Amino acid sequence: MSVVANRPLVSVVDDDESVRESLPDLLRELGYSARTFSSAEEFLASDCVGETQCLLLDIAMPGMKGPDLIQELTVRGQEIPIVFITAQADESVRPRVLGQGAVECLFKPFSDTALFEALNAVFRVS
Amino acid sequence: MAEIGAMVGGQIRQGRPLPVVLTTLCELFDATVQGCSSSVLLLDRTGTTVRNAAGSGLPASYMKELEGRRVSWIETPPAPGLRLHEVSPILSLTGEPLGIFAVYRRESNPDVTRSHSALISQLTHVASAAIERMRSDEALERSAALLERTQQLSSTCCFSWRVETDEISWSKELCQLFELDPADAPAALELIGARIHSEDLPSFHEMIERARKGVSDFEFEHRLCLPDNSLKYLRVVAHRTRDQEGRLEYIGAVQDVTHRRHTEQALAKLRAELARAARVASLGVLTAAIAHEVNQPLAGIVTNASTCRRMLGANPPDVEGARETARRTIRDAERASEVIKRLRALFCKKGATIESLDLNEATREVVALSLSELERNKVIVRTEFADELPPVQGDRVQLQQVILNLVLNASDAMSGVDHRPRQLVIGTERDEEDGVRLSVRDTGVGFEPQAADRLFDAFYTTKSGGMGVGLSVSRSIIESHKGRLWATSNDGPGATFAFSIPSGSL
Repeated sequence: MSVVANRPLVSVVDDDESVRESLPDLLRELGYSARTFSSAEEFLASDCVGETQCLLLDIAMPGMKGPDLIQELTVRGQEIPIVFITAQADESVRPRVLGQGAVECLFKPFSDTALFEALNAVFRVS
Repeated sequence: MAEIGAMVGGQIRQGRPLPVVLTTLCELFDATVQGCSSSVLLLDRTGTTVRNAAGSGLPASYMKELEGRRVSWIETPPAPGLRLHEVSPILSLTGEPLGIFAVYRRESNPDVTRSHSALISQLTHVASAAIERMRSDEALERSAALLERTQQLSSTCCFSWRVETDEISWSKELCQLFELDPADAPAALELIGARIHSEDLPSFHEMIERARKGVSDFEFEHRLCLPDNSLKYLRVVAHRTRDQEGRLEYIGAVQDVTHRRHTEQALAKLRAELARAARVASLGVLTAAIAHEVNQPLAGIVTNASTCRRMLGANPPDVEGARETARRTIRDAERASEVIKRLRALFCKKGATIESLDLNEATREVVALSLSELERNKVIVRTEFADELPPVQGDRVQLQQVILNLVLNASDAMSGVDHRPRQLVIGTERDEEDGVRLSVRDTGVGFEPQAADRLFDAFYTTKSGGMGVGLSVSRSIIESHKGRLWATSNDGPGATFAFSIPSGSL
């Protein structure tokens, strides 16, 4: 829908509609192109897996959870940098998911600067 | 002959040992009847075996050999030239064989006549009395020993109390329990009262007054405060009875239940801690769920608003995009407020059951429920319930929740108070507008005047472990009962929380 050439593609996988609606506009404002998916399964079935350069991934979703998706991608040999976004207020989540290889873990609600910095970290790494 | 009875009878009454008495009997016979030696053989309970014997005129070796023999063995000559001459059974009053009176005659002395049977009959009579006395003494001793052992085992002591004369007799163990000098016995009620914990004295006196009227058996528990300031918990059970002259008397047992009380207190404390932990744990779970539900729309709001600002700041500004993100911001805020509404419905829509209820009774139940917690917190509770309080209409459980909340808050407010009594007064009365007012007054830390307005705000708390939910929920419950809940600072230390609700029956 709004994949602009030369702009890195950030895919958002979140079951919450507010997030899916609001994040793409902000991502575009930050200079990225964006696609949204309401579940991990939907993302895996899409044609975006190969193009996605960063995943903004919810942890707790119905069906396949965020960490399960990372595993599936690893099995498929698709290494996509991950930034987790979670509504859980439990700080202990963060070291766990960072240990699983995520670049950053953002707690909802997060500021545009926090997102900006997380994405900067991702694209510096890659 | 009469002298024999008098002399031996005297020995029996003095409680001289049985062998002494029986030996005296034999010696009297031997001295009276020349050429004869007598013996008294006690029989075992079956009446067939010799258990013990007395007879100083017979060879000691023979007497020793008799022990444990069948009765018929007495026909064996004790010594050369000595043979069994006469035998008479010693019978109890009920005809049970207790022993045998056996007379041996020296063969060298043929001068023995029948007239001895009268003497023998009298002696066996005396022997019978002596043996029976010994047996009942033994039985008494055994039962006394048994009683003492039982008292020790069950930490129980006994007493009797003649109400008319206030004569109290009590066991040595009871003296020890009260740490009183046995020399002070018979103990006076004042002496006992001096040992009773001051808080238990009113109920002790009340119990004494009831007992004096002799209405029934009595049973109660109280604490002892001993000279070294240690506490003991006692349980007293007394049975009402009349002595031979028909005077009122109580026979009672006092049991030291200190250990049991301590165990119960430890258990209650553990239970309270468990309940608290469970409450905190479930609150934790609840908080996480609420946080998750609220954070989702908040994330939308923040993201939309950030985007909106960026769009407006762009050159040229993307007004259309900004308008759209502003619209979404508002919608997400509405979603967040929906979440809160749902939560409120979840907690409040329990379907209140309105009934006509007695606030005194409802409060009494709450006090009973929280008594162990209050006792653990060393809070002294006094209730001042108005008589003939009109009934109120309301949800019993909800109102009791409010009362419990106020009581526990008051208790918490006093937990750090050590230099004055932790006193809690729960009172009910009619208010000026034909309603009913309940107040809970403590001597705790109180509150700052400027905090008075915030006390009832949700999540406002002054307690380290508090959630700040209790009073705001309490206020909403009271308001749903068309009443109001407020707090005032006391003239002295502490605060008073009170609510009033309209009276009226269904």
